[in-house]
Amino acid sequence: MITAEGLTKRFGDKTAVDDVSFTVQPGSVTGFLGPNGAGKSTTMRMIVGLDRPTSGRAAVAGREYRKLRAPLTEVGVLLDAKAVHTGRSARNHLRAMAATHGIPSSRVDEVIDLAGIGSVARKRAGGFSLGMGQRLGIASALLGDPHTLILDEPVNGLDPEGVRWVRQFVRHAASEGRTVLLSSHLMSEMAQTADHVIVMGRGRVLADAPLAELVRAWTRNTVRVRTPRPADLAAAVGGPDVEIVSSAPDLLDIVGLPAARIGDLAAGRGIPLHELTPTTGSLEDAYLALTGDSVEYRTKEIS
Amino acid sequence: MTTTQAPAATRPRVDTGRKLTFVRALRGEWIKLATLRSTWWSIGIAAALTVGIAVLIAQAVDMPDFEPIQAVIMPIQFTMLLAGIIGAISVTGEYSTGMIRSTLTANPVRGSVLAAKSTVLAVFMFLSSLATFAIAALAVTLIVAPRDQSIDWSDPSASVLPIIVASLAMAVFALIGVSFGFILRSGAGAIAATVGVLFVLPIVASFFSFAGESWAWVLEASAYLPVAAAQAAIMPSETAALDAPAAFLTLGCWVAGGALVAWGVLRTRDA
Repeated sequence: MITAEGLTKRFGDKTAVDDVSFTVQPGSVTGFLGPNGAGKSTTMRMIVGLDRPTSGRAAVAGREYRKLRAPLTEVGVLLDAKAVHTGRSARNHLRAMAATHGIPSSRVDEVIDLAGIGSVARKRAGGFSLGMGQRLGIASALLGDPHTLILDEPVNGLDPEGVRWVRQFVRHAASEGRTVLLSSHLMSEMAQTADHVIVMGRGRVLADAPLAELVRAWTRNTVRVRTPRPADLAAAVGGPDVEIVSSAPDLLDIVGLPAARIGDLAAGRGIPLHELTPTTGSLEDAYLALTGDSVEYRTKEIS
Repeated sequence: MTTTQAPAATRPRVDTGRKLTFVRALRGEWIKLATLRSTWWSIGIAAALTVGIAVLIAQAVDMPDFEPIQAVIMPIQFTMLLAGIIGAISVTGEYSTGMIRSTLTANPVRGSVLAAKSTVLAVFMFLSSLATFAIAALAVTLIVAPRDQSIDWSDPSASVLPIIVASLAMAVFALIGVSFGFILRSGAGAIAATVGVLFVLPIVASFFSFAGESWAWVLEASAYLPVAAAQAAIMPSETAALDAPAAFLTLGCWVAGGALVAWGVLRTRDA
């Protein structure tokens, strides 16, 4: 479990993280979303003790990171793929990290296999591609078989196979009861991976809710209808709770009525339909609705 | 009566003995130092310079009162810079590559990171210098032998002691580099500061020997610079500004002072 209580970080007169509180529960994958500069990385860095909060506290399994007696076995951290000396081989990097906790080199070889970097493990990390560097970062996060994973943009630069591997890995880790906090800008990926999402904007928590609830609260179901008689159809379905947008002469986007009802109403009046497509909101829609307004914050009570 | 227990919040975990200790932190730092090619390049160059310059001096200086051990020790004037730079880049290399974030998440106790890195560098520099000076001593012995000169091994103060103290001095120079590395973080800045303290300041101070009485304090103060103190400790002489105990104390103060400032900076600043 990860807890943040009133975390605040100021750099000069700029407030990067502003009174952020949340709890990341074990047994599920929590997605950490927000535009660039929203304060996600700074929050993660404060959780693992790299940055000192201006005020507030962060704890992993009830204890401040700096007070953990075996941090690598408690928390696996991937903050950015470039936290590796470019002149050292991947394997030696992992050996040096493992040595600080008495983790045997057999475990080093295990995580090298797990992350799929066996073929380049003895090459210098400076020559790694973004994806290989990312895999090395994930390998070092796994060294101590930690019960908490904090991964900042883990799929950034990975090939499709790697993206799927990360998704399956964190899902599996959560199913084992581990705590996973994961940030990403890939909404479709996050929608498949996360159970719960925390959305940050301009240093504040904008939403903290189960993924399905967030999507429901911040998106609308629309039905796209194509007909040669749009005016007649609009008149037929119109009502106080119905919103109709026309983006082309023969096209209507209707909000507030289910597709079946629209179809029935059209059939009753003999209006021909050439297309009737219900669309449900996506995480991306919800995210953009939440964070899109960059001038003013919008927060909304969920659930 | 039965009591019900709340389920444990986290998975039950087996204590595998995998936890952070200082000895393990030392091991991690040693692996980091030993797995960089630049470490061995630098040490190789320092060794080649030491032996090469020692041989040159031994060949060139053919005087009756010449003590061959001086030829062995003198190259430290040049290799001291390498020692300081090795210390500085062992830290700044971590900052420039981002490695420091891995280091500090593996060992979040920053004082322990500083102590482990300093210890490993000091011991490594001491032992490699010891080996290098031993080779230089052997080479010098072979060169001065035809002139019926030799290093008098029966007199420690003219043989073993200068070599040991010179090796210690190399460790001190490396630690000064480590401190500047943590304080300044940038490779160029830390190297400039290290070279400044070891090499430039003594030269600047020497200009003041032409100045008047009112500037004499500059010369007096320059005796406490690391290199001057090291010279006084390696080859104590009546003419040196510092006697041996004062020289050792001065070197100790440079190490302790540097480490203290580095610790103060490291523990408070964001990584």
